[in-house]
Amino acid sequence: MSAAIAQWRGFKAATRLGWQISSNWTRPLLFVIYSVLRPLSAAFILVVMYRVISGGAPGTAAYLAFLVSGVAFWSFVQYGFSGLSNGISEDRGEYKMLKYVYTSPAHFYVYLLGRGLAQLGSALASAIIVLVVATIALRLPIDPLHVNYPLLLVGSFLALLAVIGMAMAFGLLLLQAIDSHGYGELGAGVLYVISGAIFPITVLPGALAAIGSLLPLAYWMEIIRRSLLGANAIRMFPALSDADVLLRLLVTTTATLLLAHLVFTWADRLARQKGLIDRESNW
Amino acid sequence: MNHPSASRIFFKTIAARAYPRVVASFRNRTWLVTETLLPLVGTIAMIYVYRGLHAPARYLGFVVLGGVMLAFWQNVIWAMATQFFWDRGAGNLELFAMAPTSLAAILLGMAFGGAYVSLTRAVTVLVVASILFGVGYSAAGLLPALGVFVLTISALYCLGMLLASLFLFYQREAWQLADAMQEPIYFLSGFYFPVRSLGAVVGGIGSLIPLTLGLDAIRQLVLPGTPQFIPVRWEILAVVVQIAVYAILSQVSLRYLERRAREDARLILRST
Repeated sequence: MSAAIAQWRGFKAATRLGWQISSNWTRPLLFVIYSVLRPLSAAFILVVMYRVISGGAPGTAAYLAFLVSGVAFWSFVQYGFSGLSNGISEDRGEYKMLKYVYTSPAHFYVYLLGRGLAQLGSALASAIIVLVVATIALRLPIDPLHVNYPLLLVGSFLALLAVIGMAMAFGLLLLQAIDSHGYGELGAGVLYVISGAIFPITVLPGALAAIGSLLPLAYWMEIIRRSLLGANAIRMFPALSDADVLLRLLVTTTATLLLAHLVFTWADRLARQKGLIDRESNW
Repeated sequence: MNHPSASRIFFKTIAARAYPRVVASFRNRTWLVTETLLPLVGTIAMIYVYRGLHAPARYLGFVVLGGVMLAFWQNVIWAMATQFFWDRGAGNLELFAMAPTSLAAILLGMAFGGAYVSLTRAVTVLVVASILFGVGYSAAGLLPALGVFVLTISALYCLGMLLASLFLFYQREAWQLADAMQEPIYFLSGFYFPVRSLGAVVGGIGSLIPLTLGLDAIRQLVLPGTPQFIPVRWEILAVVVQIAVYAILSQVSLRYLERRAREDARLILRST
């Protein structure tokens, strides 16, 4: 069996495992309710907040679209980042199988990529539901026939690579803790504040805004809004063209992946040296 | 040999179950970080949303008080409602069932311990967010608001005891169910906006959760200008009724579901 086939098999098994862990052990109805209610509620919290302040004044659809598009696509970070980084600790502590993944023929990156991809499947369903429901209910200026799909797909592909890279590195760092419950959500929460998902990063204090502009997520949010809303999009980077934003996304994603690889390698070596791969933890 | 009285065992059980929670609140540093920072980060995100909208300053206060209550709701969901689920997974539930005490006393102990832990986290959220964003409160309303807060937390933990007995019947999906009780409840309870904005029907449904009316009453007392959902005195009365109703329901439900769980062998079922 060639090495490529072994990696492909490992990838498929990891994706299937990730999907089953996140969905297949619950009742389908409960899973659907859970998948729909959470993101919709998060979106409608922001809608009500906005309506409370704007008082339903005319011309509010553009800002509502800004909020809804951000929160809809945020599910990719929520599921991808916290799901994958928590998953590494769960594989070790709850399922006690991390050591077997390490000893399998598939590269650890390949396994984690598959595990992350399964999380992104749930996120895709969540994002589509929020966008469809909110567009219809709030009459948002999103026309599926006029969406810039190539820009959206390229931007999302790059950003999701960055998200999975960050989640892998963060997940390996979490192996240092005996009990890291909640840290994945905390990491995603911090990114939520500094990424421009629900408010322009210019609202943040200077240092936080600067950190936000070094991350790929702010540029991804900008690309999402420009591709979905076209001229109606409220822009966080009005001076930049679409190509400029995409270029910045590419550069920040590359830098994030390099940094994530360094952190991952260091945390992996440390975990092996300390014997943390099969450590008993609080489950 | 003298046996301790039933009431002594009951109260000793409450103290014994509350003790590890209180001790763990200082000993488990990793939880200290997440339990404090998770509600704080969520609160800060929503404050910046209002800042982005150039909202009046009192709206920042709405969010901060919502963040304070959020710490309690998360504790009720993850450390009350789902606790028997975790205990069953760890093998403790069968020991609880064999001990010469009642599950009600164990739940009360969890509630007291959990309320204490959440209080320490909530105070941090309140102080840090209020100082960071310059949120002020009406001094005249602080004492009555404290009274409403105590009533609200009592009703909330009674609801938590009710949920804990219901969760005995869930397997691994308990995790998803608890997850599903986050953002939808933040929305229904008006954690980040005045409850009045939800309208009578949605606000009325949300009022089944003690946090909704309690939070609205506290906001009316300490943040002048809060749009009134219903008058404070009615909200206080409703919360007091909820304490009684949820306390009774939780005991009835616990007895029934404990019996069912014994019959179905769910007390020893490993689900994690």
